[in-house]
Amino acid sequence: MFKKILIANRGEIALRILRACREMDIKTVAVHSTADADSMHVRLADESVCIGPAPSKGSYLNMPSIISAADITGADAIHPGVGFLSENETFASMVEEHGMTFIGPTPHHISIMGDKITAKKTMIDLGVPVVPGSEGSVGSDQEALKLSKTIGYPILIKATSGGGGKGMKVATNDEELLQGLRMARIEAKANFGNDQVYMERYLGKPRHIEVQVIADTHGNAVHLGERDCSLQRRHQKVWEEAPSPGLKEEDRKKLGEIVTKAMKKLNYRGVGTLEFLYENGEFFFIEMNTRLQVEHPITEMITGVDLVREQIRVAAGEKLSFSQDDIVFKGHAVECRINAEDAKTFIPSPGKVTGYHAPGGWGVRVDSHLYQGYSVPSHYDSLVAKLVVYGDTRAECIKRVDRALKEYVIDGISTTIPLHQKLANDPEILGGDYTIHWLEKKLKDEASSS
Amino acid sequence: MTVSDTKFDVNGSAIKELAEILNTTGLSEIEYEDQGCRIRVAKSSGVMMSSHMVPAPVGHTAAPAVHAPAVSHAKESGAKALPAGHIVRSPMVGTAYLASEPGAANFVKPGDRVNAGQTLLIIEAMKVMNPIKATQSGVVREVIVVDAAPVEFDEPLIVIE
Repeated sequence: MFKKILIANRGEIALRILRACREMDIKTVAVHSTADADSMHVRLADESVCIGPAPSKGSYLNMPSIISAADITGADAIHPGVGFLSENETFASMVEEHGMTFIGPTPHHISIMGDKITAKKTMIDLGVPVVPGSEGSVGSDQEALKLSKTIGYPILIKATSGGGGKGMKVATNDEELLQGLRMARIEAKANFGNDQVYMERYLGKPRHIEVQVIADTHGNAVHLGERDCSLQRRHQKVWEEAPSPGLKEEDRKKLGEIVTKAMKKLNYRGVGTLEFLYENGEFFFIEMNTRLQVEHPITEMITGVDLVREQIRVAAGEKLSFSQDDIVFKGHAVECRINAEDAKTFIPSPGKVTGYHAPGGWGVRVDSHLYQGYSVPSHYDSLVAKLVVYGDTRAECIKRVDRALKEYVIDGISTTIPLHQKLANDPEILGGDYTIHWLEKKLKDEASSS
Repeated sequence: MTVSDTKFDVNGSAIKELAEILNTTGLSEIEYEDQGCRIRVAKSSGVMMSSHMVPAPVGHTAAPAVHAPAVSHAKESGAKALPAGHIVRSPMVGTAYLASEPGAANFVKPGDRVNAGQTLLIIEAMKVMNPIKATQSGVVREVIVVDAAPVEFDEPLIVIE
């Protein structure tokens, strides 16, 4: 087992990792930017090293600085957390070249899953269903029309080099398809400098369903169920729950089997999450995250598995401490991502937390690095706390979310607690009746009616 | 009844003394109390935070809970007062060396006049030696960093007047 782990991350996830290390008697090294010198995990760590200035480029994304810090502290493993360098294969290779263990998958797995088209191809080869679409860029109109027969309408035209919803057009028939292709190319050229487009089936009312997997280096791969992360704003998850209120039991089993078979074939190592769009009983793979995810606690609540501990154990070469048969899903869990933002305008609200009181009681877990007197820096993402709630039933769980939110005090900065309060009392949420477009539509409707 | 913020000044030298006593006696924990201030120094334990409870929103107050901070073995407590002058800070993480090689004379010592661009020390990061040069001319007032010590970003190294 590792003697010392360097935590290459910040905020609440760094604290989560630190806690797991402490429980395993592993020494911790917290690397931080100048802006995070007072962060809770830095204060609690056995050793800390300032690795750079506030901007992430000079600190949390600074590979030589992080490796150097591991060097001078004698760390034998590095946990990359989420975001930052956690899915950077160059970093993963560097860590291993320096004789340390990268707590995550192999650089090879990171690279094949990082490119969206390669990932899709890999999944097709592994027998995982993907969003039907063109295999690469679309050439002539003739080719497009031929493809439309196999893909099926409605079709989404996307820019190959695109993002942020630009260069995307929906077509419901051949005529719209050809027109859409022309317009998408023009937009793509204007926004990204290249007019390459590809086609995918457009899903009108999908849910975002992701499956947690974990695999060790002894050939064992286990899935830990799904999470429903459909409630999103600008592609950022806001509220997640496990299990999904919209998934049928037989579909759950089917998906779990497909996913574990794929991971075994891939010889995957560590934790990973496969993300799907789910509509009309069909699953469509969109991408895989080869790291721990922010919303991992809800899976922990319903399975009783400590994912970070297992992740560390697997990285140290140990066998998974459970088999698929040992995993029993019990109860329901919800996570509210609490951001330092205004709950209506979403304008970021960094600053000093002058008053802090976290909720407690049965079934309430708070993963947060906040404390009274702490100043939330402006340089990083706005997630400041995760309120994770468990209940024997979904209804009980959501009622408890409401109860816990009412106790939560964060003074001095604006937070999205009021938004979560609204969600916890919304009839459609209570009915589990929502898709990936629900939240943005709801926010738009509220903005126009006020 | 309102909760007041209690200020606690950390007595660095007292903690250092207690830590030394721990080492020489082989004890694992010492707690010392004097005039309402309590210091506890323990071996291999983490830092405890002092925390205040905010009164619960229902108009019902809770007594403040203040814990004396325990000193972590491997960390510095409190910032040292830095001398006046231009402070050369470390631009990277690594190991500082005051001479070009073991046995050679140090690049600079207090009292030396230095010119802009002159090498003051070397920081080794991942097997690469990086010379740290003076950005302005002056006289070396103090060499804060110790030879072969690990340094972090922004750490004060040398003071130039």
